[in-house]
This record gives sequence, structure tokens and C-alpha cells, in this order.
Amino acid sequence: MNRQIRGLGLGISILFIALFVQLNYLQVVHKTKLATNPLNRATVINSYTLPRGNIISADGVTLATSIPTKDQFKYLREYPTGSLFEEVTGYYSYIYGSDGAEAYYNGVLTGRSSPFKLPTSLSGLKNLLTNTNNTESITLTLLDKLQKAAQAGLAGRDGSVVALDPKTGAVLAMYSNPTFDPNGLVGHNPTAVQAAYKAITATPGGPLASPAYRQIFFPGSSFKIVTASAVYDHDPTLASTAQPVLSVLSLPDTTTQLHNFAGESCGGQILALFTVSCDTGFAQIGLDLGAKNLYDEAASFGFDQVPPIDLPFPAKSNFPTASSFAANLPTLAYSAIGQENVEASPLEMALVGASIANSGKIMKPHILGSITDSQNQVVSTYKPAVWLQATSASTASKVTTLMESVVSAPNGTGAAARIPGIQVAAKTGTAQTGTHHTDDWFVAFAPANDPQIVVSVVLPNQGDLVSDQGGTLAAPIAKSLIEDYLATGTTQGSSSGPGSASSTTTQAAG
Amino acid sequence: MTPVPARRRTELGLIFLAVILTGGLYALAGFGKAGSLPANIGPFLGTLFALLIVAHIALRRLAPLADPILLPVAGLLNGIGYVFIARLSAHEARLQAIWTAVGITVFVATLLIVRRARDLERYRYMFAAGGIGMLLLPLVPGIGENINGARLWIHVGTLNFQPGEIAKLALAIFFASVLAERSDLLSQGTKRLGRFLVLDPRYLAPIVTAWGLSLVIFLAENDLGSSFLFFALFIGMLWVATGRALYLGVGAALFGGGSVLALKAIGHAQTRVQAWLDPWVHAETTGYQIIQGWFAIANGGLFGLGPGQSGAASIPEASTDMIFAVMAEELGLLGASAILIGFLLMVGSGLRIAVRCERPFEKLLAAGLSLILGVQTFVIVAGVTRLIPLTGITLPFVSYGGSSLLANYILLALLLRLSHGAEIEAVTLAVPQEQLSTRGTGL
Repeated sequence: MNRQIRGLGLGISILFIALFVQLNYLQVVHKTKLATNPLNRATVINSYTLPRGNIISADGVTLATSIPTKDQFKYLREYPTGSLFEEVTGYYSYIYGSDGAEAYYNGVLTGRSSPFKLPTSLSGLKNLLTNTNNTESITLTLLDKLQKAAQAGLAGRDGSVVALDPKTGAVLAMYSNPTFDPNGLVGHNPTAVQAAYKAITATPGGPLASPAYRQIFFPGSSFKIVTASAVYDHDPTLASTAQPVLSVLSLPDTTTQLHNFAGESCGGQILALFTVSCDTGFAQIGLDLGAKNLYDEAASFGFDQVPPIDLPFPAKSNFPTASSFAANLPTLAYSAIGQENVEASPLEMALVGASIANSGKIMKPHILGSITDSQNQVVSTYKPAVWLQATSASTASKVTTLMESVVSAPNGTGAAARIPGIQVAAKTGTAQTGTHHTDDWFVAFAPANDPQIVVSVVLPNQGDLVSDQGGTLAAPIAKSLIEDYLATGTTQGSSSGPGSASSTTTQAAG
Repeated sequence: MTPVPARRRTELGLIFLAVILTGGLYALAGFGKAGSLPANIGPFLGTLFALLIVAHIALRRLAPLADPILLPVAGLLNGIGYVFIARLSAHEARLQAIWTAVGITVFVATLLIVRRARDLERYRYMFAAGGIGMLLLPLVPGIGENINGARLWIHVGTLNFQPGEIAKLALAIFFASVLAERSDLLSQGTKRLGRFLVLDPRYLAPIVTAWGLSLVIFLAENDLGSSFLFFALFIGMLWVATGRALYLGVGAALFGGGSVLALKAIGHAQTRVQAWLDPWVHAETTGYQIIQGWFAIANGGLFGLGPGQSGAASIPEASTDMIFAVMAEELGLLGASAILIGFLLMVGSGLRIAVRCERPFEKLLAAGLSLILGVQTFVIVAGVTRLIPLTGITLPFVSYGGSSLLANYILLALLLRLSHGAEIEAVTLAVPQEQLSTRGTGL
């Protein structure tokens, strides 16, 4: 009988060995595959049950916070400002993952990326054991009041507004329509969350796409900022060359002709061309500059590169490679005026404006102001850094003069952005996107002699009437942001001088 | 009797260790979950220690030569189980604490009542009737209750009880006594059939009965796990008694055939098997529990998330059937393996007792009780890790459940009683003292 009893022991041992092997398989060999399985909500739920830092605007408004709950998640994420900051904060959903700052700064918010410190006190040891109190909060560079100005300016229309501090690259505002309330995605009731997600994705225009930094549009004439810089950087003689007054430009190697917007005639030296946004003139300048010069200039302004902003998946803005023009010169003419294959994100056009405003330097765009620990002590502050040297300080100052003229000249296309007592520098853009549709742009900074803020506004898919242009639709939005921002700290009223806004706008071109 | 204090001293030391380990785990789980020491850690550790000391003193008085490892390991598993139950549900933890006290009381009572294991042989038919009766009790209308598709429970007033847990002990005693008596008849053919000597069908009757009984449990109560446990218990003991591998083969064939038949008939079992074969297809329905368990186990990795740190709430039946998944998530591969080794240690000690017993009945009973412990652990852990279909069976000493705890403490008392008996025999057979200490390795 003892033989069998030993056999029994052997048999049970074999069964247990099978258990050990299976445990090894599950916990070591197969671990990653199971952990990354889309059905596995455990990982997210686990991170959900951890406390999470707040997201706060530069002017002290709480944008995202975690409320303790009694359910399995322990905390409910809440966005008190609703849809206003959605594009920047993103969301933190246990079903749909995370986006925006919630995704980019997840490590900071959960405290996981904070450096490990040996506990020096009993409470420190307790924190280490309980893992409860090492979250960090982030303060953004964005301002609640500018965000509201952008929302009010768009007044429900689809479009994006990006405002930067050109000297630091700090994002002051970033708002797009359509938008949505992220609170719908972070609830703990899966059915409600799924319904909210369905409703959001059903909205035309895809609000989840974060157009301000992830979508690219034809920049149209706002790209002439880059073309003008290319003139000063690569072939300054073109600046003083008077272009013939034309309404139609015949392009090389083809019968296609390039028309000015609304059939206007224009010409002259670069200041005259820039002020009225003369397409025939700039198209000729583009051809004279050549593909390589124009491409090099666009690249130095950040085209064909991903802007190093601290948000997930920013879009790369496109400018065709120099060689692609060799076989097709007419496209070079179109590219010089921001059409054809040139596409830029609202963020990129803000950076273009910022480079002119900041003596040719583009600072790294960033939304992070500072990080504070759970005791409200500032742990670190964002240190501004140069991203690109887009152009020289002297070119930047010359282009600034051109952009000032757009606003201040009687026939400038950006007259709607005039602010009494403040010199605004700007460029309009009205890109043809198909029959009877335009993407309307306005890129502006102010004050021109000491720029504090640069604003880029785009309203896609507008009509093509004379009244539907960057200078008429987008300019007032940029103006209101500039006014609101510059009113900070000074007592200057922002309600002054509405009379100057709509005086001369009829001369605008594409 | 010089070895007496030595064995019990070892036991006392191990009890200290078990209480310290449990206390540390409880403290960590409290910090991990709530950020503070559990409020009742003092009373809890005091009670656990007091209960184990009561059991220890009872052993000193009633079975001083019994194995010193079983009680501390059982106490440790019970304590760890409590920590995880407390981490999942405070209400269940309170009940589990009460049941632990009841379990220790019954443990002492068993030692008091059963002074010699062989006395149990006399009541074999009482045990048989009682065991079968308890197995069928849940089917009685009015007191039987369906929980999660299986009819395993009876409720009297507010008290829920799973009589199958006690039945398995009664049947192990019955099997052991029947097999001890008839092992010779069962191991050799006595009837001539043509050229072959075959077994007398009369002696095959018990195996057929057992098979029938397991099928009845399976069909009537929808419980694959208990059914397998009973069948494995009987076939295993039959094999130990006779040494004929034929029984293992025939048993496996019968169980396999019966299962297939039953599967065709029972919806509950079908869904269990479907969920086992392809849980991903049924990830949100029948496979949900097993997949959530898998995710939790995988999430634990090598070292685990730490006590109290996991989500745990996403796993259905986390405190009973799936408690091992929670432990694997929080303690990792290392902790989960340690717990399995604890069970292996108990099974090994049980089988060593079986080897050291002199009488066939005692040998068979010790082997049978060890088999219950080993197979039950395997069935639930293998179910949770998806080696076999998941069934609703408890992890001995660890899972939440009063009847399970009670039955396992009785099992423990019987094993220790057998152990003491075997050592007494060894002493009375005048084995030289120095050999006594080296004979302990039966496996």
C-alpha cells in the first residue's frame, strides 16, 4: 500500500507542477499580452483607483480634478469648465483611454514619473506604503479668459484659435469648434459613457480630432509671411522689384492661369503686394525664388516637421519637397501663395507668426507652466527653449513692417484687426478649397514693436463671397484675444474703438 | 516520552511565525487599501493567536505525538485567507472570523470525540448514510437553494450551509473502511470467464455506486467540481487499496463518458465548458469571470502589486471561487507559489502520516483525506488558471465559506489524530528512539 501512497504523492505533485507551470505562463511569459489585451480594463481601472493631480489654468481656474467616490474606482474625474478646455486637457476615460494633457502628463498627474525619494519621516514612509499622496498637479500656460474670448469669437462656427506668447512659446489659448464636454467620457457608468462617445463621434467635424494642433488646412495667403521671409533671406532684390499690375498671371509650361481673388488687379513692390495680398505678384515671386529657396524657407519655419508641443500626436504641416516642383512649375506658383500642396495646422501658423514676432526665433510651443506636488510646492517650472531659428532678426523686422501695413494701411486686408493705441501686425488668408469654399485665416501679433501675443485663427469651409474672408471673419476673433490679453495688468478698456474695425476691407485678395 | 515536547515546541514556534506573517500581510493590505493600519489588527492577531494556541494545547493534551506542521500551515492559510477576504468585504470577513472560531472548536471537539481513528470504522454505514444524505440534502425542496446555477446549498433560517463539504469526509471514512476490508478481493480476479479470471461483479458494485453517485451530483446539483472530487477520491483510494492501475483507467473512462453524457444534458455545465475552451469568444458573458481572473493573475507578474493594491472588484466571486486570482495579482508569482507550496506541504505531511500508519483503514483514511486536500486545491486553482473548466469549489482554509472551513478543520483533526495513532504504534512497537526521528520522510 505504501507504494501506492507514494504514487499518490507523485501524482499530486505532478498536478501541482502543472499549476506552477501555468502560473509561470500567465504571470511571466504571457503577462504583456494579457496586460495589453483591449478587453483588459483592470490596468485602467487600477490606475483609475489611484488619486490624480489637478490641471489648473494660468489664471487659477481648475480645469480637471478628481472627486473621491464610493464605487470601485474611488475617484471620479471632473472637468469643471466642461468643453472650454477640452482640446487641451483631453479626457481620462476608463473605456476610451486618454487624450490631451491627461495623456501627455499622465506620469506627472499620477505621480509615477516623480523621482523616487527615500522616506525621511514616518508620514513619508506611510506615503510610500500607501501610494496615495505622490500625485502632482500641473498648471497650464493657458488663460481661462482668452479661452472664453476664443469661444465667444467663434460663436459656434467651426474653427480653431491658437494664441501663443512669442517670446516663450507658451500656449495662451487653444480652442476649436466643434467641441464636446469631456465629463461625458469619464463617468463610471459604461452605458452612459458609450452613449456620450457615440454622440460625440456622430457630430460632424469630429471634435475628438483636436483640429488646433492635429488638423492641417490650406493656409492660403497667410503663407505669404513665409514667402516674404524667403525673399529677404534668399533674394533681397525681389523685394524692390516692382511686379506688373495684373489680374491674371500666365503660368509657365501650361495654359492654366492664376487669378487674383475676385478678379482684382494688383502689382508693385513687396509692401504693396503684401498689404493687399496680391496673388499674381507673390506667385511670380515664388517662381523667381525657385523651388529650393522656398522649400528651405518653409522648412526653417517648421513645415515638414512635427512641432515639439507637449500634447499627443501633433500634426506635421506640409510643404512639397523642392524636387517635386521640377516637373511641375505651376504648382510652385500656387505653393508660394499657400495653395496646392501646402497645408498647415492652426498651431503651425501661430508659430510662423511667432517667429516674426520673436526676431526670427521659434520657441518650443508648450502648454505646461509648472508642476506642483501634493503639498502645493512648485516642483518644476517649464524652461522655454528655442525650437527653430526660422529667419534672421533683420528679416523678421522687415516682415513685421509688411504685416503692420496689412492692418494699418487704408487698403490693407487686415484692417478689421485695428486696435486704437496698439499696433497690430497681421496677415490674412482666404484659401480656395474647392468651388465656393474657402478656409479663412488670420495670423496676427501685437504690439508690433514689442510682441506679447500671437494669434492664429482659422475658419474652414466658409463661402467664397467677398464678405467671407480671413480679413472679415477671422480678424475680429484675433483682435478680441489681443485686446483681452493686452488689457491684463493695464486698465486699458477693451471695449474702445469699435468704429475703426470695419472701415476698408473690399480690396482683399486670396 | 521525550519526543512529545519537541514536536509540540516546533508547532508552537511555527504558530508564532504564522501569526507574524499574517499580521504583516494584514498591515500591508490595510496600508495598500485604505492608507492606514486596519483598525482591528490588534484584536484580529490576538484572536488568531489565541485560537491557534487553543488548538495547540488541545493537541498537547489529546494527540501529543501528532505531526507539528499541519496545524501551523493550516492556521497560516486561514489567516492569509482572512486578510484577502477582509480586503474584499468587511462583512464576509466578520463571518469568516466567527467561522474560524467555530472551526477551531470543532477541531478540538473532533480530537476529543475521536480518541482512536479505528473506532470510526465501526460506524461506517452511519457515515455512508450520513454522507449520501448530506449530498442529497440540497435537493430537498424548501431548504435547498440554487446559487449560481449549482444546487449545493441548504439554508435553515439565515444560515447557509454546503453539506457536500462535510459529506466528503463521511464518505472518505466509509470508503476507507470498505476498501480496507475488501482490498484483497478487489485486487484479484475471483471469477472465471473463459480463460480469464475477472473480478466478481459483486465487488465492483461500490465503484459503480460511486460513479453513479457522482453522476447524480453532477446531474441534479450541476456541480462538476464536487463530482470530480468525489470520483477522484474514490478511484484514488481504490487504487491505493488494491494497487491495480486498471481501476484508474476504468475510472477515468467512466468519468469521461459520464461527463460527456451529462454535458449534453446540462446547460450550466455546457456554459462552463464553453467558457473554458474558448473564453475570448464569450469574454463579456460566460467567459467574463475566467478572463478577468486571467487579467488579474497576469497583472500580478513576478512580485505582485502588493497586498491591498489591486482592483479586485472586477472579478466575480472574488472572495470564494476566485480568491486565488486576487492573491496571485497582489502577491505575484512568488506569493502564489508560496501558497501552493503550503498546500503541497499539507498534502505531503498527510501522505507521510498514511505511510506511517500501520492498519489499512488508517492508511487509506489518511491517504484519502490528503487526496481531498490536494485534489480540491488543484481543481479550484487549475480552474482559476484555466487548466480545467472552472467550478465552484473552495480553496481549503483560504476561501470565504463556513462549511468549507468547518469541514477542513475536521479533516485536519482527523489527520492529526491518525498521525498521533501512528506514532503511538511506532513507540509501542519499541522502535529505538533515534530511529523515530529519521523515519519521518515517507514521501
